[in-house]
Amino acid sequence: MSYIPLYLEFIKIRLKRMVEYRGAFLSGAAAQFIMYGTTFALIWIMIDKFKNLNGWSSYEILFLYALDLCSYSFAAFFLFNFSMMLPVMIQTGEFDDILTKPLNPFVHLISREFNIAYFTHITLSVLVMTICFINLGIRLNALKLLILLIVILGGALIQGAALLITTVPSFWLIQNNSLKYTFFTNLKSFIQYPISLYNRTIQVLLTLVVPYAFINFYPAQYFLNKNDFLIFHPVFQYLTPVVGIILFILAYRFWITGVNNYKSTGT
Amino acid sequence: MSLIQVENVTKEFRIYKREKGFANTVKSLIKRHYEVKRAVDNISFNIEKGDLVGYVGPNGAGKSTTIKMLTGILLPTSGSITVNGMFPYANRTENAMHIGVVFGQRSQLYWDLPVEDTFELYKKMYKISDSRFKRNVDFYVELLGLQEFLQKPVRQLSLGQKMRANITVALLHDPEIVYLDEPTIGLDVVAKSRIRRFIQEINREKKTTVILTTHDMDDIEQTCSRLIMIDKGSKIYDGTVSGFKEAHNKRFMIQVEFADDNVFITDERFDIAGEEGPSRKFICDKETISIGEAVTFLTRNYDISDIRIKEPEIEEIVRNVYERAAL
Repeated sequence: MSYIPLYLEFIKIRLKRMVEYRGAFLSGAAAQFIMYGTTFALIWIMIDKFKNLNGWSSYEILFLYALDLCSYSFAAFFLFNFSMMLPVMIQTGEFDDILTKPLNPFVHLISREFNIAYFTHITLSVLVMTICFINLGIRLNALKLLILLIVILGGALIQGAALLITTVPSFWLIQNNSLKYTFFTNLKSFIQYPISLYNRTIQVLLTLVVPYAFINFYPAQYFLNKNDFLIFHPVFQYLTPVVGIILFILAYRFWITGVNNYKSTGT
Repeated sequence: MSLIQVENVTKEFRIYKREKGFANTVKSLIKRHYEVKRAVDNISFNIEKGDLVGYVGPNGAGKSTTIKMLTGILLPTSGSITVNGMFPYANRTENAMHIGVVFGQRSQLYWDLPVEDTFELYKKMYKISDSRFKRNVDFYVELLGLQEFLQKPVRQLSLGQKMRANITVALLHDPEIVYLDEPTIGLDVVAKSRIRRFIQEINREKKTTVILTTHDMDDIEQTCSRLIMIDKGSKIYDGTVSGFKEAHNKRFMIQVEFADDNVFITDERFDIAGEEGPSRKFICDKETISIGEAVTFLTRNYDISDIRIKEPEIEEIVRNVYERAAL
């Protein structure tokens, strides 16, 4: 609890810096809104042409994408700048400064390097989800709303863990971009569509190895009243928070290993 | 018990060995050869509370590595370090509460904001009470003349102003120990002397223990009471600054103005280094003749109008020591 005043101070500083570059911030936010808005439009246009994809309607697929974007935005809010900055900080030796401060380096970095631009994505994805629910005639009661929130947070933990796991190798490799693009950006683009579209191997891969399907595919079954569990058990629709917590703990331990390696090699 | 105890500390790095030629570069993608580099080799020293220690050595001698081990950034390969009764690498956050660190090559300040904002952040980070914060800010603003640029964004400050602000940030929480890694690098003469005076002032006023690494021997001579010198990872001197000069400075120069032109000194203890009209320069070795003896010898035997004795600058002595160590 004693950490709160410091956290507020980090926020204050970030906002002050943003005000310094108001123009850059506003144009950046507008660009992001247009970029992701276009992606949504594109998906919608494509699906609308085919009417449905493997039993999934256009609004259902839009919901999948919105759920992914929403949880991604929460994770990226804390970890996107972090994942970009860490390799640079290791190269320049700035990470040394972080280690001379009386704070947990992970907490320090996520407090300092959050990216407020992701509020744009959150707003956009909530908007799209609402449109989907209205058009699909689904009413959310208090319980469903709570579960939606938990699913978003669980998904955010999965995405956060993935960002962290692909960033930590920079303690050894200095550069981590190719890893991030392969295992995060590229592999994750599979879940823009229902994974039931793909062959068995990819379904298993996205469920058990790189469990991105828990971000949207499985929890969507619950909200959209579907029954598309592939070879897996229906209980999977509730497992998102569990998978998120476990993955994030593993990712954090990997981070600790990275920091310890830095301490003994100095890179 | 000493405030800082360093016992037989060694730090080794495994370094990837680059080989010449394109073929070898391709080969190194698959198999790399590593070599072990010993950056710090079995170093021991103690530092007492209130000491002001200069830690010097040529580039790559292991200074930064030592500072990084003392501050808890790096783990020693072997040996033990205790700071304030703690292991800095094991109790990193606890240790960090009691130290201040300035790396002269990097800045702790937010580039786009005024210095004041960084002060506020560090107030919260180190949980500094309002009264102590106000007292310290006033003290440093006064002593370092920060008033003129307190409200300016850091990007508009000069190098010297930034350094003063960085030092203030590192000292706001009254650390018991402050590590200054090249705090005068790139600064002009005025800015340098301001920082030197300041270091002495906080050492005297607040009894802060200071460990200073630098390449500027004037920094050491004007501020430090003690000098630790390392080279190739090993300690080569540990003692007072005057003791260092004494121990490594075996020679002195005498410049004499004789009353007439044709003076010849045949005494072997005087090595002639230059002559111009009636003036002569001699280099003498303290082992064979003391300054007193030399002066007496010259004034007794010759008619002299002026005599000057020059001892080499500390810079020159250090250069000789480094060169000798490099052989």
